[in-house]
Amino acid sequence: MADIVIRIAASNGDGVESSGSLLSKIAARSGLNAYYSRGYQSVIRGGHVWSQVRISDAQIYSQGDGIDILVALNQDAIDNQSGQLNSGAFVIYDTSKANADVLKGKGYKLVGMPLIELAVENAGDPIARNVVSIGALLKILGLDIKVFEKILSEMFLRKGQAVVDNNVKAANAGYNFAGIEKAYELKGDGKARYIINGNTALAIGAYASGCKFYAAYPMTPASTIMNWFAANENRGVVFKQTEDEIAAINMTIGAATAGVRAMCGTSGGGFSLMVEGLGLAGMTETPIVVVESQRTGPSTGLPTKTEQGDMLFVMHASQGEFPRIVVAPRSVDEAFYVAADAFNLAERYQCPVIILMDLFLSESSRTVDSFDFSKVKVDRGKIATAAGSERFKRYEITPDGVSPRSIPGTQGLEFIAASDEHDEYGDLVSDVLAGLEVSVETRRKMHEKRMRKVDTMLKNENVFVPHVDTEGADYYLVCFGSTTGAALEAAERLRAAGKKVGVISFNYLMPMDKEKTKMLLAGKKLIDVECNYTGQLAYLLAANAGIDIEHKILRYDGEPITAAYITEKANEIMLKW
Amino acid sequence: MNYSSSVKPVFCPGCGDFGVHAALLRALTELNIDKSSVAIVSGIGCSSSMPHLFSTYGMHSLHGRPLPVATGMRLANSKLTVIVTTGDGDAYGIGSAHLLHVARRNVDITMIVMNNQIYGLTTGQASPTSLIGAKTVSTPFGDIEEPINPLAVALSAGATYVARGFSGDPMHAAELIKNGILHKGFALIDMLSPCVTFNTLNTYDWFRKRVYKLGADHDPSNFGKAIEKAMEPEATGWEKIPIGLFYQTKRPTYEELDVTTKNGPLIETPMPSSGDVEKALEIYK
Repeated sequence: MADIVIRIAASNGDGVESSGSLLSKIAARSGLNAYYSRGYQSVIRGGHVWSQVRISDAQIYSQGDGIDILVALNQDAIDNQSGQLNSGAFVIYDTSKANADVLKGKGYKLVGMPLIELAVENAGDPIARNVVSIGALLKILGLDIKVFEKILSEMFLRKGQAVVDNNVKAANAGYNFAGIEKAYELKGDGKARYIINGNTALAIGAYASGCKFYAAYPMTPASTIMNWFAANENRGVVFKQTEDEIAAINMTIGAATAGVRAMCGTSGGGFSLMVEGLGLAGMTETPIVVVESQRTGPSTGLPTKTEQGDMLFVMHASQGEFPRIVVAPRSVDEAFYVAADAFNLAERYQCPVIILMDLFLSESSRTVDSFDFSKVKVDRGKIATAAGSERFKRYEITPDGVSPRSIPGTQGLEFIAASDEHDEYGDLVSDVLAGLEVSVETRRKMHEKRMRKVDTMLKNENVFVPHVDTEGADYYLVCFGSTTGAALEAAERLRAAGKKVGVISFNYLMPMDKEKTKMLLAGKKLIDVECNYTGQLAYLLAANAGIDIEHKILRYDGEPITAAYITEKANEIMLKW
Repeated sequence: MNYSSSVKPVFCPGCGDFGVHAALLRALTELNIDKSSVAIVSGIGCSSSMPHLFSTYGMHSLHGRPLPVATGMRLANSKLTVIVTTGDGDAYGIGSAHLLHVARRNVDITMIVMNNQIYGLTTGQASPTSLIGAKTVSTPFGDIEEPINPLAVALSAGATYVARGFSGDPMHAAELIKNGILHKGFALIDMLSPCVTFNTLNTYDWFRKRVYKLGADHDPSNFGKAIEKAMEPEATGWEKIPIGLFYQTKRPTYEELDVTTKNGPLIETPMPSSGDVEKALEIYK
């Protein structure tokens, strides 16, 4: 078994991103598992950026930690990244842009390569130095260069055979560079995998469940959802780029009212603008899905860095009270299924569903063996289709709180939805009736009707409970969303070191089945793991399940939490406990 | 077809919005559109209670947001006749950004703005169309801001049907609304609709002395003339206020240009099969 972390570092514009995505694609096609994440800045050219690809023949859940192979395309890369090198790491560096003198005599395997010269010599273009460096990496990793050659021929097909041949030559020049030897034994299972990021998996999951409308204003790290819908408009969906996020959520509400499965997406700043619209969906009982991909806040914060700081915000955003569902996918593949399920929940309970992502999950790619389409089932909830003899009660008071809705265009079932409090027909009780006995009673009944949907959700759905990994452990790491991958690996390492550690992870966070959650957590030694300062999940559990978690591992420096980070802190906590 | 609901208007006695209500009702009746395919969308304000007076589909949405809601409806189902009924605070104040963008997109929406130059429902503050010097609750020393010129704004943003009516002449207003609904593309009808409770300056009498109908000599296909006429109130120190159709032109609607909706209503496109989803995923392998 081999498990290798490769980091390719340079300036923005040096093609680091395409190197990372190419390398992870080669791994995926070679029957291996890969996890591809990026470190980048809010600049378009220059600065310091990196791609990190972790490749293993075993199952992996996170981006990995430390660097086993560093590809340094400039001096900055040597200077900024060497602190993270694992012992005995390879450092491939471009001799025309960097020297590795500072790393000499420390046990690293230093490989200087004239990458630009090799690129020019073989492909006639310095841009091919990424291809040369990937060739060299493949040799060290012991991977078949033929897989790369095939990808190159697919990539450059449109540019002509000469370009394909040049790049294949460049790749082989790297692969055959004197002095590089195979250093790892990676055993692929021969089964090609998908390599896909969280946002794209989410977008395709939404598409699979019949989401036809997506509205958004560009905002990192949600923009790649927009990019997918824009590029795939010819698949029978509409993407609308809007003037602001206020328009995005209100268009989504309009489209959903008209009967189309609709979604909007943004990050925390844009979500702040969507808040009033969220309440409109709550009041008019319009089924919409809203994606909030968190980045480091407050305010503009670190636009290209990750955090889990918006959980309590999305749960309580908007004035007044109304049912909503908040779900934080724990992995790339889960984002696909969660997105597909979100529309069923939204339409079954006629309320907004918020999918809480974060930059790390949105933008990191992971290999996925397969997607099970049989799990994507469409349930559009209660829809009235035939008019009765009486006027249609769009907001009929029902035992489960859900009233049949009608789709505009259906004769005899017309109604006016209102953001004001209204009666069963949708007529206002907010103006000339406000304060009169009839209005007071209607308000109480309508509010109870809407809120009753929460009880119905908890009764009918089995998703609102945490997932327990490793029964009977002495300690449990408690986490939600994207932090789960690193927590699972940390627990695995701790178990390997003789400590019985499990993981309790949450994806569906709101509503919470308080009794079941309490039962699962009570009496256990719990360590809260989150990417924020205040421990928002711990706060939620204290409020909902009466579980007070004293020990916390929190990270809020913008970098995603790693298994090593959790392992180290958990050891410190357990030592004293 | 009967487009009225059982809901009674809550406008003040004498409110200009009664005239607009009558005009919209008349326009729909004359057009005889199946009411199940009509959606009337409003924002917040006195005028925004309008949808409840009708037995069509619709939404009484948020302050300033009827245009995005209406756009979502049109993009989801281009078979719907979508009408926005709103006020000057909604359209030209809090929701002004949406007006610019819906105009340049040319979404097929008919927008009727009941412009009373005051915030009525919040009991009499200045609006974006209040005139300089107007004394209101929020401008006790007189308004010092230049009023917005909605027609000029809509024209410069690319609206393809720009008109102004006066609720004191509901028959004329009904014609403007009817033609606005028939027009393919975004239609703005600014409707001078006096607030008899809070606006003591821009009264029926004030308007009757100043309002005149654009004559046969006005060519609504002439953009330059339309701008000139739109600016006439300012140019004449609010002595002359033309009403009628200022401008109309043909331009493909957003729905006609979008790669998906140009083939038919979005709501009618089929659900993807698992084969379709597999194809979408293929490039990630």
